Amino acid sequence: MSLYKETAASLHQKLVEKQCSAREIAQSVFDCMDEVEDRVGAYLSQNRQGALAAADKVDRQIAAGRDIHPLAGIPIAVKDNICTQGMTTTCASQMLYNFVPPYDATVMGRLKGTGAVLTGKTNMDEFAMGSSCENSHFQLTRNPHDLRRVPGGSSGGSAAAVAAGEAILSLGSDTGGSIRQPAACCGVIGLKPTYGSVSRYGLVAFASSLDQIGPFGRSVADVAALYGVLCGADPMDAPSARRSYPDFAALLKGDVTGLRIGIPREYYGPGVDEQVRAAVHGALADLERAGASLVELSLPSTDYALSAYYIISSAEASSNLARFDGVKYGYRAPDCDGLIDLYEKTRSQGFGDEVKRRIMLGTFVLSSGYYDAYYNRAKRLQDTIRGEFEEAFKLCDVIATPTMPTPAFKIGENVDDPLKMYASDVCTVTVNIAGLPGMSIPCGTAHGLPAGMQLIGPKFSEQVLFDTALTLENIRGNLCPVAGARGEG
Amino acid sequence: MIDVRHIAKLSRLSIEEEKLDKFQKEMQDMVDMVEHLPALDGGAVQLDPANPMELRTDEVRPSLRREKVLENAPQTAAGCVVVPKTVE
Amino acid sequence: MMKYETVIGLEVHAELNTQTKIYCGCQNHFGSEVNSNCCPICTGMPGTLPTLNEKVVEYAARMGYALGCTINPVCKMDRKNYFYPDLPKAYQISQYDIPLCEKGHLDIIVDEAGHTKHIGITRIHMEEDAGKLIHADSFAGSLVDFNRCGVPLIEIVSEPDLRSSAEAKAYLDAIRSILLYLDISDGKMQEGSIRCDVNVSVRPVGAAEFGTRCEMKNVNSFSAVVRAIDYEAARQVEVLEAGGTILQETRRWDDMAGKNFLLRSKEDAQDYRYFPEPDLGTIVVTEEQLAAWRASIPELPGAKLLRYMRDLGLPYFDAGLLSESVEKAAFFEAAAALGKCQPKSLSNWILGDVSRILNEQSCTLADTSLTPEKLAAMAALIEAGTISNTAGKTVLEEMIFSDKTPDQVVREKGLAQVSDASALEGIVAQVLGESEKVVADYRGGKTNALGFLVGQCMKLSKGQGNPAVMRELLLKALEE
Repeated sequence: MSLYKETAASLHQKLVEKQCSAREIAQSVFDCMDEVEDRVGAYLSQNRQGALAAADKVDRQIAAGRDIHPLAGIPIAVKDNICTQGMTTTCASQMLYNFVPPYDATVMGRLKGTGAVLTGKTNMDEFAMGSSCENSHFQLTRNPHDLRRVPGGSSGGSAAAVAAGEAILSLGSDTGGSIRQPAACCGVIGLKPTYGSVSRYGLVAFASSLDQIGPFGRSVADVAALYGVLCGADPMDAPSARRSYPDFAALLKGDVTGLRIGIPREYYGPGVDEQVRAAVHGALADLERAGASLVELSLPSTDYALSAYYIISSAEASSNLARFDGVKYGYRAPDCDGLIDLYEKTRSQGFGDEVKRRIMLGTFVLSSGYYDAYYNRAKRLQDTIRGEFEEAFKLCDVIATPTMPTPAFKIGENVDDPLKMYASDVCTVTVNIAGLPGMSIPCGTAHGLPAGMQLIGPKFSEQVLFDTALTLENIRGNLCPVAGARGEG
Repeated sequence: MIDVRHIAKLSRLSIEEEKLDKFQKEMQDMVDMVEHLPALDGGAVQLDPANPMELRTDEVRPSLRREKVLENAPQTAAGCVVVPKTVE
Repeated sequence: MMKYETVIGLEVHAELNTQTKIYCGCQNHFGSEVNSNCCPICTGMPGTLPTLNEKVVEYAARMGYALGCTINPVCKMDRKNYFYPDLPKAYQISQYDIPLCEKGHLDIIVDEAGHTKHIGITRIHMEEDAGKLIHADSFAGSLVDFNRCGVPLIEIVSEPDLRSSAEAKAYLDAIRSILLYLDISDGKMQEGSIRCDVNVSVRPVGAAEFGTRCEMKNVNSFSAVVRAIDYEAARQVEVLEAGGTILQETRRWDDMAGKNFLLRSKEDAQDYRYFPEPDLGTIVVTEEQLAAWRASIPELPGAKLLRYMRDLGLPYFDAGLLSESVEKAAFFEAAAALGKCQPKSLSNWILGDVSRILNEQSCTLADTSLTPEKLAAMAALIEAGTISNTAGKTVLEEMIFSDKTPDQVVREKGLAQVSDASALEGIVAQVLGESEKVVADYRGGKTNALGFLVGQCMKLSKGQGNPAVMRELLLKALEE
């Protein structure tokens, strides 16, 4: 059976109708893993025994005639920067190579409550810093659509796992595009939720004011269903929004009649690949035919967003990553002479160059004499960018842009040029800076590779994003067929 | 010019000599991007009184068992984490 | 030699006695087994987030009101970044540019006449304590105990308004008794619940500008503060007199050695890279909360002390000791308000025998059956001459842990004083008869022998004779 190719919604139906068991679903996903994982490298650790035990529990509930949650028995992969009690959580870093959290992230508690089946922990750029997964200390992850290419990052393992059928759904985290970019690269759907809608408790922090956990899936309904489980106020995460959320999946209409879609010209500039631009325009044309109207508009500060993003995120990261010092957990350098030596050796050996670069950049922009020139200025720009989005949403209901200016690049292509690597973030960072929800959906191909369209809404407008995406899905059919992960590695 | 040695020291990192120039250039490139930021008046908005933080009630919750507190520590003794001798 | 003036500013860190820590639900308790009051949050585990304890905001604001501060009803927390093994997150969540309380003052009492001096309070902010490093000679490393991590602190920063170590001591005593009055801190120096950093500079008397200041860390008791200030002021004067200049430094006080040592110079000053704590939102205190907290501030010990001196005629010493204790002050005031006896009599009893018994029994007034009414009634009996002071002690012993009233004890024990001269003449005659040598001494000029004779008479009367009457009778007999 190729259950691993199906969506969570159809698997749930099969479970309820007893056409298959949760164990069979898990086994099907494991079979897929056996087939492709050697080439894809999506997982840093697998949880087969635990997954089977969880699946069996769901099967017993079904056998007992009990109602099950739509995610019960659904295999879900989790990015390795989300704390899982009793399972290593490495952030793909030597620094945390052996860290076993004594507690579960809030989202893990929510997932476990549904009966979802945790398949394992996925690869990522070290501490979520990167756009290609090439910054993982442990392994490369390859794009299931073209094994010579990167899966995007930093949640590349979670995107690749879903794209290749090694999981039905997955969780990633997004600080500047780390869910949307790999979703675009791997041809799956990824949502960066409104800041404050999903608890960050248990997500190893990169940039606290920008980080959000979010879902990957191969259908809009699946992503909506998983988001519905993840979101919610959490007293453990003080800035999380104290509000209630609707049942997104149940409210899906797939109707864009009268919807005003904003097209900000700054996101369609010369840096955007022609074929990517064409793919996005194609999807917009479909939505227009379905009853939406397109509104041209401007978000003038977009060009400055990247620098503001790197200042703010690096500043917070420099502080957040200071706790990794070889004292309480994780890596400790051998043969140290005194405390300072222990700190310096541990941190120099435990972190990769990208992480070091950002820690130092963040330390610099916060340091005495530079705070106002850099950090404070970036924060002021953040206010400006927020304001521009607020103005834009007076003219439109949702904004559509390319997710990335180009499709997935080749492994190794950009590793020596950080600025070029960072350029892939230009379309996504504004969304984090403004705290808005952003979603990437496959919108066709560019150079034979998946291209992603990003939908951005006002705060807490995820339902509008889902409905817009669902309309496209209804027009085009399955947007995210499972990739074969064949060909040269 | 960013003084990478000084910043590395503040960050408790030691950077190999041969990498200093590379880091210096890469960080300078990023900082230079900020030089293009438009001049904006006033300070950044730091407070958001419209969204007051909910505070925690002062009620004791269970602590973690000591074994759990220490289980990830590279070196422990006498129920404590061990660090090189440190007196300030 | 030029005359110098010492200028002192203090940064007092006081641990708050909330039930839980400032950013997590772990118990806030001193003296637990190492690393037993810890959780993923206060040990800085990856992925954890702080939540702010509402009582910390309340306690800090109440201290602010007690010190006449302006409260910032909208404020935030900030991160102070530095690496040290007792700080597991490698940053302390504190307050930087918008403290909860600002611009207050404390009037300290500088002499026994009750003169006061106005000391400015720059700010009070909330922050977390760090853990403890344990060192043992037998062990090559240091041990880290995280129990104290996240214990709530307020930092009270004074203006450089103090001019001597004695003023600094008076300031610290006043801060401590206010903390105890508000019941927001244990105030136990020996457990480290109050600690302070001391900033000292000196300048020629009359100079307009402050001298360069040095900060001293590790000053662990109020008496050490006095020693540390005196030492540092003398050191600075010595440097200046030798033609040197004072460098801005952080120095470490070693109380055992009675000296301080350079910890770091200004060039090595830590760069804390403060920035707003992104894991916590905006703190907003409502008008209603502020009003309730302000209303909860009782009359503070300094004001009480002055009132006891002014209105109740107590000497400085009594007024100070009584006002220092919330419980004793309240008891004293209730008893004095009855108007049955002199306030000074009550003060003598409370600070004397009552306090002695409380100490012996290791208990507080609340643990006894003593009421302001009972104590005042007893003092009135003494003042009226119904019982002697000595009998008063017996009455107190009998009634402090029982339901008995002073009248009852006096009746049961037959303690009523005998003042009738005719009833006491026999006793006086007997004592004189048995004390020929003492009588001779007295007549020979040793007038203090009279006290001994009075004591003998009291003994013989089983404490019931009125000593004043006995004394009269003795004098009369001796002059014959």
